[in-house]
Amino acid sequence: MNNTKNAQNTQKDIKIKMSGISKIFETETLETHALKDINLTIYAGDYVSISGPSGCGKSTLLSLLGLLDMPSGGDYFIEGENVSHLSLDQAAEIRNSKIGFIFQSFNLIDELSVFDNVALPLRYSNQKPSDEQIKQKVGQCLEMVAMSHRGSHKPNQLSGGQQQRIAIARALVADPAILLVDEPTGNLDSKSGDQVMDVLAELNKKGTTICMVTHDPRYADMADKQLKLLDGSILQTPQAANDARKVM
Amino acid sequence: MRFLYQQKQAWSSLAKKPGFVAIIVSTMGITLGALLAVLTLAYVLIVKPLPYPEQDKLFLVQHQLIDANAKVDGDSFTYPNLMHLYKNQEQFSTMALMYYDAAVLTSHPLQPRFTTTFVTPQWFSLLDSKVALGRMFEQTETLNSYNPVAVLTYASWQKEFAADPNILTQKITLAGVSYSIVGVLAESFIEPELIGAGMKTQVYLPWDYNSVNESNRKTWGNDDGGILVLGKLANARSAAQVEQALTGLINDNWQEKVAGTKFFNGWSIGIALKSLKSEILNDSQQTVYLLLVAVIGLILIACVNITNLFMSRTAEQQQQLAIHAALGAKKSQLFVGLLAQSSQLLLASTVLALLVAMGGFAIFQHFLSSYLPRVDELAINGFTLTCALVISLLLALFFARISLRMINYKALNVSLQSSGKGTSVQVSKKLRQLLITSQVTIVFALVFVNLVLLKSSINTIVQSAGIVTQDTAFFVLGVAASDDDTKLQRSANMQALIMQLEAMPEVEQVSQSSSPLLGFSTHAMSQLGSEKRFSIKAKDVDHKYFNLLQQPLLEGDNFSAADIKDRNKVMIVNDVFARQLAPQGSALGLTFDNELTIIGVVKSMKVPGKTDIPARFYYPSSTGRNMMLVKFKAGQSLSTEQLVKALKQVSSQFSLFSYSTLQQRKNTLLFAQYTTAITSAVLTLITFFLAAIGVYGILSYATGMRRFEIGTRLAIGARRGEIIGMIIKDNSRAVLTGISAGFVVLVALYLAFTTQLSSYMQAGLLVQLVITLVSIALISLFACYWPLRTIINRPVVYSLKGSD
Repeated sequence: MNNTKNAQNTQKDIKIKMSGISKIFETETLETHALKDINLTIYAGDYVSISGPSGCGKSTLLSLLGLLDMPSGGDYFIEGENVSHLSLDQAAEIRNSKIGFIFQSFNLIDELSVFDNVALPLRYSNQKPSDEQIKQKVGQCLEMVAMSHRGSHKPNQLSGGQQQRIAIARALVADPAILLVDEPTGNLDSKSGDQVMDVLAELNKKGTTICMVTHDPRYADMADKQLKLLDGSILQTPQAANDARKVM
Repeated sequence: MRFLYQQKQAWSSLAKKPGFVAIIVSTMGITLGALLAVLTLAYVLIVKPLPYPEQDKLFLVQHQLIDANAKVDGDSFTYPNLMHLYKNQEQFSTMALMYYDAAVLTSHPLQPRFTTTFVTPQWFSLLDSKVALGRMFEQTETLNSYNPVAVLTYASWQKEFAADPNILTQKITLAGVSYSIVGVLAESFIEPELIGAGMKTQVYLPWDYNSVNESNRKTWGNDDGGILVLGKLANARSAAQVEQALTGLINDNWQEKVAGTKFFNGWSIGIALKSLKSEILNDSQQTVYLLLVAVIGLILIACVNITNLFMSRTAEQQQQLAIHAALGAKKSQLFVGLLAQSSQLLLASTVLALLVAMGGFAIFQHFLSSYLPRVDELAINGFTLTCALVISLLLALFFARISLRMINYKALNVSLQSSGKGTSVQVSKKLRQLLITSQVTIVFALVFVNLVLLKSSINTIVQSAGIVTQDTAFFVLGVAASDDDTKLQRSANMQALIMQLEAMPEVEQVSQSSSPLLGFSTHAMSQLGSEKRFSIKAKDVDHKYFNLLQQPLLEGDNFSAADIKDRNKVMIVNDVFARQLAPQGSALGLTFDNELTIIGVVKSMKVPGKTDIPARFYYPSSTGRNMMLVKFKAGQSLSTEQLVKALKQVSSQFSLFSYSTLQQRKNTLLFAQYTTAITSAVLTLITFFLAAIGVYGILSYATGMRRFEIGTRLAIGARRGEIIGMIIKDNSRAVLTGISAGFVVLVALYLAFTTQLSSYMQAGLLVQLVITLVSIALISLFACYWPLRTIINRPVVYSLKGSD
């Protein structure tokens, strides 16, 4: 199955490619190598999970993938465009058009309605969509996560699971190249967590590329590629991990 | 015991935050100090009774010379009317006469100038004066007793006579009269400042020796501003009743005496009473109110800033409060803890405030004693201490209450369980907006008013006087009264002095004239032909006066040397008077009933600090005139010693009564404008500084609270410009509301002080308005951007840290 998918991947578009990426955090007295020589390729339609112990560099890697931070070395391509050395505003444009974020704590803006939260990426878009286009697109995304009926609510009127589904809708609204998901169930009970993971699986089935950081091996298993990080390096390739599980 | 424990805990908590303590104590100490200084000033001037027995019964008697158009021409007494009043009135239980003057103390080796007041003996009893040595004036010094004795003030005795214990055996000579010193007033005596704030008498002399000349003592139409009358109302008499009775007494007699004088046809005399307190206060009340508004504005800004600091600190203390709550502390107990902290801070602020207030009193006494009355009485008193304690207590309660309101007591336990995540204590958006609005309201109103005052003062300061005052000095000679035989000698001496001075290498020209910056006398006269009557300001000058001051002659001729020598009946008018006399044509050749004929028209000069230019005329001075203007060569001057030496070389009879440059006199006249300009500029800067800190503090806090939100927006693609725009937009409503409220405050101020402010409401206010708005906009933009920069100029990941 995985051999087949890998073979298919060579045929598919490369969404993300990292070569030799490193990240060093420096203080006056200390230099911490958070990531070392990371090489990673994510294809269109992939569902990748990143896991590892606390402090291994998962969040740092996700930050670099999402252009929330810049690497100290190496090259990073999104849909073939080198994004390793962008200015803050250029990075913002790429985030807006090509990346969708889903955070552990949802990060919805309390003062905005559900509709306005979902519409926010479109408001920042260079495409400047009309209000009608925004309404239509937001409606579609809310429908996708089964939250159309909550458009006028404020986030604090919703349950955690519902808030995370709104966050998913917001991540999807600008048709990003990839969804970056950070511990999506970390603040949810197991039932709500399962529901959110079902939504993500459904989206992936429909072709959405997903890269997810998770602690939970149950949810990591739902991905078709699993990266394990240890001390800032990728410990196992997805293929090796899969093979190892088969032997066991 | 519990109280001590709370205080100890509060002290320990505050000791860990020295920056917080320093900002609050310094901000509140300085602004509260300014408030206490001005409140005490207001108390002393407006509320505190005068230090005289039955002070509410003490009134000054004003003599109003009312012209045929019912306009008050002057409010000073004519000498004959004064005597008639003093001898015949029955309305006052006690009445005292005063005549203010100055003379050179020729018996003193340094020949200092002494301010003298000629009084009748009742002066001392009305004011309940006490003596340190000797006696006051008694029956031996009543009217027409001509007993040459003097009473020194305590300060004069100390300063001029080195507190000589044998002072009562000494004599002093003033204006050629030798007076025996019979008493020294007690140190506690406070003289009412009746001819101007800060003007203090140095020696009291009997009324008989006042310097009103013989001619004016008999003239029913010439009033004299040096004369004042103070009386104590008899029991059961109202001020209105007394005014009516005295008007009848004086006017009836006066009408009879001036019946033969055509000029006074239709004129009358009115007597008005003015309470001693309102006379002393004069128009200082408005100044005090304006100062109060300014310092209240400052303290409001400071309070808003400190409120914000307290709220931020409460947010910081959340974890600690949660532990207290978990251990069973009730909400009221948390309040007591917060109150202990705010009380300690306000107590320290109050100590600093009292020191600042004392500094303020010293400033008032040193710089404003000639501008505000009774500043000598300023000191930390019961009123100051009560105000300090009440204000501090109220503020301590307010700050503790505000902090308590922020605490959601029920959420404290949850806060503890979640280790501070999730449910943080926050200042609500509504409250933050209210704080910004209130800051902007106060800043807008205060800065606009200060800028208007600053511009107005600067305009007055830089306005041309129409004469050149550079390198020019003015002096007055002290000369004894002279009879006809000595007048010629005096005149000859004066001419010799002019020659002596003009021969000096430093001197370019000397004019035997009064200073252009000293008062003009008032002359009543009628134009021949039209019979129009005028009451005109006049000055006697010589033929070199206009040339020396470079005051342009617009039409006709200047005085000639012969005009001065022969005292020809000629006059030069200013253009204002010329236009009144001949609106379409020339005023040259017009003649008046005093036999003066106009030979020239000069461009008007403006007395610095005055807003209007009255009609004036100039007439030839006497060759014996004891006043001189000296024009020095560029950059040159004469010291007092050099001048005294020159005087003594001409005549040993000459003494120097006063000597100053016109620039010094100009600065004195512009003192109020300089004070206003400096005060308003300083207040503007302090206001901006406090406002910038305050608005920055609030927005910095607000931005900090929104860090994750901003990080989220950045994460989903917002550019920095969009975030800055959003923050500005979010706060613009509060700023605009503040500006609108500021407008309302200004309109209310204008309606409350229309009379005082109308002169400022002229064209040009737009500039001040624009400056104010731009300044507030810049402060707001700075306060929006500066705290934001740490979020938007770093990778987004730093903003999102901790959001999970």
